[in-house]
Amino acid sequence: MPMFRKHPFLFNSLLLLTALIFSIALGAVFISPGTIMRIIADQLPWISLNPNWPDSSVAIIMAVRLPHTVLVAMTGAALASSGAAYQGLFRNPLSDPYLIGVASGAGLGAVLAMVLNWPTELAGYYLIPIAAFIGAILTVLIVYNLARVNGLVPLTTLILAGVAVGAFASAITSYLMLTSDDQIYRAIAFLLGGSPMAGWNPVLAALPYMAVGMGLLSVSGHSLNVLQFGEDEARQMGLNVDRYKIFIIIAASLTTAVAVAFSGVIGFIGLIVPHIVRIIWGPDYRRLVPISILLGACSLLVADMLARILLAPTTLPVGIVTALAGAPFFLWILRRAKREVFW
Amino acid sequence: MLKISNLSVAYGQNIAIQDISFEVNPGQILALIGPNGAGKTTLVRAVSGLISPKSGQISVDGHKISDIPTGERARILSVVPQARNLGGAFTVEQAVMMGRTAHMGWLGRACQYDRDAVQLALEQTNLLDFVHRSISKLSGGEQQRVLLARALAQSTSVLLLDEPTNHLDLQHQTSLLSLIRQLTREKQLTVMMALHDLNLVSFVADQVALIVDGKLQCVGTPEEVLSPENISLAYNIPVDIVSHPRTGSPIIFPQGIAKEDR
Repeated sequence: MPMFRKHPFLFNSLLLLTALIFSIALGAVFISPGTIMRIIADQLPWISLNPNWPDSSVAIIMAVRLPHTVLVAMTGAALASSGAAYQGLFRNPLSDPYLIGVASGAGLGAVLAMVLNWPTELAGYYLIPIAAFIGAILTVLIVYNLARVNGLVPLTTLILAGVAVGAFASAITSYLMLTSDDQIYRAIAFLLGGSPMAGWNPVLAALPYMAVGMGLLSVSGHSLNVLQFGEDEARQMGLNVDRYKIFIIIAASLTTAVAVAFSGVIGFIGLIVPHIVRIIWGPDYRRLVPISILLGACSLLVADMLARILLAPTTLPVGIVTALAGAPFFLWILRRAKREVFW
Repeated sequence: MLKISNLSVAYGQNIAIQDISFEVNPGQILALIGPNGAGKTTLVRAVSGLISPKSGQISVDGHKISDIPTGERARILSVVPQARNLGGAFTVEQAVMMGRTAHMGWLGRACQYDRDAVQLALEQTNLLDFVHRSISKLSGGEQQRVLLARALAQSTSVLLLDEPTNHLDLQHQTSLLSLIRQLTREKQLTVMMALHDLNLVSFVADQVALIVDGKLQCVGTPEEVLSPENISLAYNIPVDIVSHPRTGSPIIFPQGIAKEDR
């Protein structure tokens, strides 16, 4: 068995580390990985190195590239892990935060907060994910209630309701953007496929929410496993299905909401990454969710690097890259799914 | 002992089960029979706690099922569902280990006791050679054995089965039912099983409950219940019933499909 299949956490951590370093290195000025590591080490209070690098490199790394890279990595991790959770919860390989309307609801909440009061200091940034989370949870509640038939939530009505409510939320979001000419540029960039916010404030504001959301998702693996046999059988095996469903929906919606709040709408990562993990490392959600966190971070970093260098000096919205790379990949997965059961 | 007294179950306004009472003792198999839509599956679902009764009671050893929380109930009562397209590409071992959910913590970490129970269930169901195979790649008979192993791993005293022999060929039907019968005797399990094939019922059951339109027509030994009158009335076709030459148990021949007399 190849090494990467046997040690998924080691392999994906190394992959992520490489992606982090290259993401910091790439830009208008290339900074070598060695210099990056020395500059970052020099920032630590207990390490003092003899600086043999230009001061501008320090400024570029610490003020621009490092916070951007960290936010992109966190966003990728959040989208992939919540995508994995939604797929497991709804037992559908096509579920992802966008399909059931959660991302659009989160986007509406976030844009509403930003239109009302664009954040200028850290306290303001902390409020955006809360607004996004309220939007996401309200969307889930509305979709869930619309989709419920005789106390059950069939997949088809769930997704139809998700698409409809998501479209409605997006329409309100567009309206808000068009009527508030002040923020229009930022808001459009936000919804057009992702433009992670700059600086450390969004990173610091996202960190606690993401830690809670992804932490909860990481310990939900066993219940997601049991749910794969269907809700009735899960109950008969002793799982408190209703409690865990709410638990997982809240954790996944929180994680999605924070990602959308600071990076905008980025598709396909939540769909594709859990599939890759499932194909290579199997369907056990106790491993699938944490591996998706690592590989999700890595994948969005790669997409973001492509977005920055493909048309340099112009930066593409990263959502365009994930869609361009993700859609064909997804079709390939569909073809593969027809031939053998791996889901 | 599984005791069902004056049980009625309704889906909204539709009454699916009406005033049913019977008991099953440890070491005994009760087979539920009746035409399609009679309420057998509903009864299995109600006893497993998935639907609440409209009136009446289900109790195991004197404890009311509806008063027992989900997790605890799964340590008393396990269910073998019909094998159909099994969700997930889990291995046999992973799937059977999930039967230990009610015994494990919420993280699903297995202790030695859980691993021993899974090992035993795999042995009993003859699945030791399949542990690392993906359940989605097994045959129908093998999948049904995995579901039985999963229920056995739950280490319960009551076992419910819903049409466990559907989609199985003659050999697998026989070997699965023999296994269930043997385990029932050895472990003094209390078993209730919905079953379509009346000849298999006669072969495996200690007691038979005939349900028609949600009502209990009669309950008793296979010889008592599987009479031409009962069966003809329930299934709306004339039948011939003869005794098995070796065991004496009743064998049912529907007359409708008999070849013309020669």
